[in-house]
Amino acid sequence: MNVPIKMIDISTTLLWLVLILFLVSAVYSVRDLNFDFGEPQMSLISDNQLLFSLRIGIVNKGFYNIGSFNVTTEISDIDGFVIAQGLTFIDTIKKGENMTAFHNATLDFDDLLQSDRNLLFNDTQLEAAVYASVRIADIIPIGATTNFSIPWGAPFYNFTVGEPTGADFNLTHFQVTIPISFENHAFFDINGNMQVQMYNSANSLTGSGQTAVQVSQHSRYNGSIDFYVLKLDMTRTGRLEVSLLTSLFEYGPLVVPYG
Amino acid sequence: MAEKKNNLTKIRVIVSRGLKATIKGLVFYAIYFFLWMFLAPVSEMVSGLQQTVEVFFMVQIAFTIVEELASGTIFQHIFSASKALFATCYLILSLRIGLFHATFQNINLSIDLSLFFIIAALLSLLGFAKSILQTVNHLSEKAEYTRK
Repeated sequence: MNVPIKMIDISTTLLWLVLILFLVSAVYSVRDLNFDFGEPQMSLISDNQLLFSLRIGIVNKGFYNIGSFNVTTEISDIDGFVIAQGLTFIDTIKKGENMTAFHNATLDFDDLLQSDRNLLFNDTQLEAAVYASVRIADIIPIGATTNFSIPWGAPFYNFTVGEPTGADFNLTHFQVTIPISFENHAFFDINGNMQVQMYNSANSLTGSGQTAVQVSQHSRYNGSIDFYVLKLDMTRTGRLEVSLLTSLFEYGPLVVPYG
Repeated sequence: MAEKKNNLTKIRVIVSRGLKATIKGLVFYAIYFFLWMFLAPVSEMVSGLQQTVEVFFMVQIAFTIVEELASGTIFQHIFSASKALFATCYLILSLRIGLFHATFQNINLSIDLSLFFIIAALLSLLGFAKSILQTVNHLSEKAEYTRK
């Protein structure tokens, strides 16, 4: 019986040695694995879509290949409503390999406005939750989670519709001028139309007008919309319905009382 | 004269066992010291890892010394089996530690080393089986010697 006992002894010792060496080398492989997350970028792509892009630099200086590299992102508004999701999967990153991956998530502008109209008028923060996972040597799962905020600049920040002023145009009509101002804090230019419909206190449409709007990013707009209203229909109080029609999105009507 | 010689042999055997036990204990401690050099960076991430590893090695060293002092007797194998059984149970109970959590700035990192703990527990179980075989072997050899 001495021989089998000796064999078990030798094999157990060898297996312990292999296990310890593998554990130590795996721990060091994790240490020699570098992830470099770039600044999150937002840009416009076609079809009313916003692209959230995150550059991920990966340097694998470890002893083993990395498998199943997976990054999942969830972008939500300040209330926690998920507005976009993105997934990036890389099958294998070989040892000694340097690579750069771009993790993308697309946001539909219309969906974005549906979830929160404040995004149009107020600067805020979007919350991004990132979950990343890899497998070292295909058997050791490593996961990482992080949260960060993405500043959101409102395209119609401080949107102000002034009091309508009427000036005599002829015997029957007033020329009504409605001052409008806002600041474009968004990362894109605004090109489109702004429409105003004026309703009197009897809820009758008294007049409407529109103006073309071209506002580059991070600049202020000060303008007005002029149209003609029958003197008989004009009342001291009423409401204005403002619609915003741009190449990216349509919004409205925004109801603003006057008088 | 014969009794004096017998006593001298006994003392020599005890001293030899003590020396062996000391050397084995030191070797074990050296293994712990060497291993800890590599695990030290990880211990900063995992709370309780150092304590867990220290307790494990302390008990292992204690069992090794006692086992060596009792060599040649049935107790050697009993201690050996106890050591292996302790390692198995300790590793199974420490499985939750196999899931390392760490936080760097805003990033929560988790490493799952449960597989290693399971393999280590199985290897300890193999050690336990070996000790049982050694005990049976010791008893059968003793029985054969008594019959002769």
